[in-house]
Amino acid sequence: AKLCVCDLLVAQCDVNCCCDPDCSAADFSLFTTCSIPLVTGDSRLCSQKAAIYSLDVEANPPERIFKLIDQVNPSVFCIHATNYKQAFSFSSPEMPTSENFDQLLEQFGSASFSAEPDSWNMNTDAQNPSDANETYRYEYGVPIQTVDAFLRLPSPVVSSWCSDANPAGFLVNQATKCIRSVSVEKCGNIQAVSMLFYINSSILAVPKSSQMVNITVQSIVVQSLNGMRTLLNGSDVLRLPVILDELCINIVLGVSYHITYTDAGEIIEAAASFVLGAINKEALSIQQSFEISFTQVNTKPVPLSGNPGYVVGLPIRAGFRPQGYPFHIRILFAALVLNTNKYSQLTILQSTSNQDCLAAQGARTPILFGYNMISGCKLRITAAMTCQPLTQTLLDLLKGQNFPEYVASFGNSQAQHVLDWVPITHLHTSEQRIYNTFQSSCQIPVSLEIEVKWTKYGSLVNPQARIVNVTATITTTTLKQLPSGRERTIPITSSVVFTDISSPAEPGYKAWPTINAKLPFDFFFPF
Amino acid sequence: LSSVPLQILFYVNGIYYIFYFLATLAMIVYKSQVFSYPDDLLGPDLALLFIMAILEVLRLYLGSKGNLTEEEAPLGLSLVITVGSVILSVYFLVWQTYVLKADVIINVVLLFTYGLESVLKVIAIAAFV
Repeated sequence: AKLCVCDLLVAQCDVNCCCDPDCSAADFSLFTTCSIPLVTGDSRLCSQKAAIYSLDVEANPPERIFKLIDQVNPSVFCIHATNYKQAFSFSSPEMPTSENFDQLLEQFGSASFSAEPDSWNMNTDAQNPSDANETYRYEYGVPIQTVDAFLRLPSPVVSSWCSDANPAGFLVNQATKCIRSVSVEKCGNIQAVSMLFYINSSILAVPKSSQMVNITVQSIVVQSLNGMRTLLNGSDVLRLPVILDELCINIVLGVSYHITYTDAGEIIEAAASFVLGAINKEALSIQQSFEISFTQVNTKPVPLSGNPGYVVGLPIRAGFRPQGYPFHIRILFAALVLNTNKYSQLTILQSTSNQDCLAAQGARTPILFGYNMISGCKLRITAAMTCQPLTQTLLDLLKGQNFPEYVASFGNSQAQHVLDWVPITHLHTSEQRIYNTFQSSCQIPVSLEIEVKWTKYGSLVNPQARIVNVTATITTTTLKQLPSGRERTIPITSSVVFTDISSPAEPGYKAWPTINAKLPFDFFFPF
Repeated sequence: LSSVPLQILFYVNGIYYIFYFLATLAMIVYKSQVFSYPDDLLGPDLALLFIMAILEVLRLYLGSKGNLTEEEAPLGLSLVITVGSVILSVYFLVWQTYVLKADVIINVVLLFTYGLESVLKVIAIAAFV
């Protein structure tokens, strides 16, 4: 009865299941066929009893025929005998009791478990010594370990109340804000509002090591009750919460961690900047904000616009080559001067409400990747304006003060890698065809169009945006001399267009294996 | 005089044992892949197979040496080791974790060979003494 696989319903007859013991003769007469004609034990045994069921449809009513035969497995590898009792059935799992709960948890509590319970303990012991020889290092997302637990970055979990159990992940820049309940009477007892809570446990330089990095206090800003902040001069002193005149001062309102790491995954420095504030008797809760940022050692922190491909909405990174280097040098020392000031990046004229070009000097907005922009202003030309200064003014207006020469092709391109930077190509076109080139007419630039060609780079699943080409086209028009007293208004426009020039993805297949059949060198020796 | 049938039997036994060892090893590997063969049963089976191989080499060497030099001491020692080999062969025939039909066949042949050899060794010892 245990071997009848079509017997699924307990204490009820299954349809067309001839081996079901719950079926009576009346049920058999209603069947049309036997779904399982042969019921045996394990077919790999050399000889075993088998039950054959069939339905005799000629008889009226149809009845079930049951025959018991000896089935012989003709293979020479059939199982003649076995001394292992559990070989032929699935073992039913143990019921957990208080005695075997720990052992069961160890066996089944992880993501995978071995089939043999006795050898499970042997395997875990064998793995640990081999791990001890590996050098550990932090990887992206791994929680930063400290002496007692993890570096905590309190954050709101379900509601906005702070939870102290959120670990900071390596290389994960985070900023969180949460609310903590405080009161003036208990302000000395609440650990999480005191500076000591955030700097007392040292960070381990690499996971599971004994090398420790102390968290230093970088700066302390004191915020008064009305919100005014002042930076303290001596930031070595630890300021603990203390009750003063019915106020509790030196309450931590914000912590900002700055961690310096090496590219081997080791933390070498950690600094924390605090914002301390004060609460009065009526305050029941304060909002704390926490932030952590990571900088690689010996680099200046540069805000990345993507890693590695550009992220839509982040500014395009650009820079200049330092003066004095010839154009075609591609040697390591020809590093680019990276400008982190956002107004020296690739920027475009920003339209103002007052549309006069000459009045709104210098308002520029950075170009964000993926966002086509157009802006402009109206230029009033009077008779008194001369060509050359006007041309220069308009060029400054369109291009800005520091129009860069190179644009980073990836969002995380480093300044040392010259080949990761794309030079900006400049083109000049003229609105009207000049028939007479000798005519000394004045050409003034009226529009700047920056076309950024980008392509999808990398895998199909996660394509990264890469800038391939940047072209800045200046269109000029003739400035006709006006009779005195008259004035003209011409529109000046600047635009940025992003064009996707990625070619469609092609599947890549491995090369067919070739048969390498060559006869030995002296196969035909006598000849 | 050395017993020629015994020497022939030693030679045939050596070749057959190589086949037996490789076949049993291959079948144990097959069983461990196809059936559920836990490590604490696989270990002893493999260990006993290797012990049997070592005993067999020793046994054949001593028996052959004793027969050729017409000394009864190595032959007697070989006879004693044969007892151990017989026990191991019976283990592989009856008490192994999975006994396949092929296992039964090769072990029966091996036991038959051992039996014949033992008889001839006893006759040879009687002749040398």
